[in-house]
Amino acid sequence: MTSYLDATVPSRSEHLWRYTPWSRVHPGSIDSVPKVDVASITSDDFYVSERPFQPLPTTDIARIFLNEVLENTTTVESNSKGGHIHIQTNGEISAAHLHLSCESSTHIVIHVKGDAQWFGLALTGDVNSNAQMSVGVINELSSETVLLRVDDWAIHRDALFEHATLSLGGQRNKSDIRSTLEGSNSSLKQYIAVHGHGSRHDDHHIEIHHQQPHTNSHLLLNAACDDRSHSIGTGALTIDDVAQHTDAGQVFRNLLLSPTSRAEAIPELEVMANEVSAAHGAASAPINPEQMHYLMSRGLSREEATSMMVEGFLIDSFTGLDSTLVRETIHHRLTSHLEQILME
Amino acid sequence: MLSENMTDVLLRVENLHVSVGDTPIIHGINLDIKRGEIHAIMGRNGSGKSTLANVIMGHPAYEITSGSVFYKGENINEMEVFERARAGMFLSFQYPAAIPGVQVGNFLRKSVASVQGEAPSPRAFRKSLNEAMNQLDMDKSFLSRYVNDGFSGGEKKRLEILQMLLLKPDMALLDETDSGLDIDALRIVAEGINAVAEETGCLIITHYQRLLDLIKPDIVHVLIDGKIVHSGGPELAMKLEREGYDWVDALA
Repeated sequence: MTSYLDATVPSRSEHLWRYTPWSRVHPGSIDSVPKVDVASITSDDFYVSERPFQPLPTTDIARIFLNEVLENTTTVESNSKGGHIHIQTNGEISAAHLHLSCESSTHIVIHVKGDAQWFGLALTGDVNSNAQMSVGVINELSSETVLLRVDDWAIHRDALFEHATLSLGGQRNKSDIRSTLEGSNSSLKQYIAVHGHGSRHDDHHIEIHHQQPHTNSHLLLNAACDDRSHSIGTGALTIDDVAQHTDAGQVFRNLLLSPTSRAEAIPELEVMANEVSAAHGAASAPINPEQMHYLMSRGLSREEATSMMVEGFLIDSFTGLDSTLVRETIHHRLTSHLEQILME
Repeated sequence: MLSENMTDVLLRVENLHVSVGDTPIIHGINLDIKRGEIHAIMGRNGSGKSTLANVIMGHPAYEITSGSVFYKGENINEMEVFERARAGMFLSFQYPAAIPGVQVGNFLRKSVASVQGEAPSPRAFRKSLNEAMNQLDMDKSFLSRYVNDGFSGGEKKRLEILQMLLLKPDMALLDETDSGLDIDALRIVAEGINAVAEETGCLIITHYQRLLDLIKPDIVHVLIDGKIVHSGGPELAMKLEREGYDWVDALA
């Protein structure tokens, strides 16, 4: 396994590190490996087991670093049920590795909370043949936390993976979410909603790799950015030469709520097969004045109307989500988050 | 200063001139609407009918270059849109905006709470919502759909009238509420308007006599190039239907 201190620090010319360099998400000085506390992972709905750490693929500096600081892997094998998993950061510098596995059908909401200065989160999972797994991740970290998140998901033959992320917390976030469609006729539906407020910096890099024929993927990222926040969405869609009859799409949409907010949306495609459908799109826009006028004509103040439009814009990210548990939990959490901000 | 008889008048438009950017649209409109009165405004496309409705409601894209709008005796030229709504004004839009992601039921609940100044009790809200939806022959599945998102023209107009029934305005501005409605839907929507019209001042903008067969206006105004050039009783709408607008051009 590659040692972190022997690894090369990536330059900002790399697609993955263009907007949030490694030095900005390392918990300290980049030539150090600090002591890391283990975050707690609990659930009232699933059996949670601790195992010796299962290393992450050492393809990049973040995973190499996490391989050195993580000591165990928490595993949840979930079949034919739904429920919640709670990840609570502990101490100033904290990390966790959660591995999910599904053989049949499951719906899981992962709540990520706590006020650590730095939190490293590795999520991995296998959606096994013919299984259907829906996972929602809600980032409710403190507004001071730096989050480094890496995901590695394998989707096997005839499997369907629904993957939703609602990102509300953390001061500076770097998420590198990778999914591989390893089996033919496998499908991925990935939805991400980001609420930028204050000076949040939220960088999502999403890699989707089609390795087999007749695979489908759909990615939608909606980011609503207020104040001085900055959202980045970069996509890397790869369709191998054998992955004929693939249908893939990536859409990034940004809603800019203030003149000082920023948003980048950069989908990239690498298509080696010739009988595929692959589409991508990106759009950034301010609030639609006709929508604002319509809502205000129904008695909502400008702030209430803005909040409602932001809620609608972000909820719209998850319209395609089949899992009622994941969709409604995310909706409920987003509504209470926006109501709290409206009252501040 | 208030004009004479102002207290009887719910909405007064006084020598109103309106521009969009550098383009003047309304050229001196005067209009008094009392509670319980139904006024209809007819006119060709582009004559300024929708502009008048929007400026009365306070659309920020329109600039009042001179003149005033009074509501319940108060000059509302500087009043924000949401304040007008909370004061009891309602505009049924010709082209209602779609708000993806916002469910109709949630939107209606928040809107009623804003206009009433407090959240209605869940039971009271459900009761009035059920009554209004039954009155408009609307399916409950409407409530979980996103506001106007993917709605047909007729569905949008029904939702507008549903909001009017729930918000119980004192002054209703109805901008081409009849467009996009089939005959049955037109009858249902007209019944909805009539249900509130007795206690409300109504300004109805329409192109067609067929709506005015179902909602009897007290006064019909003809708008040509941003000016009311002629006013009369319900028979005026029938004459316009028969003869068109050429004969009123001479009055402009």
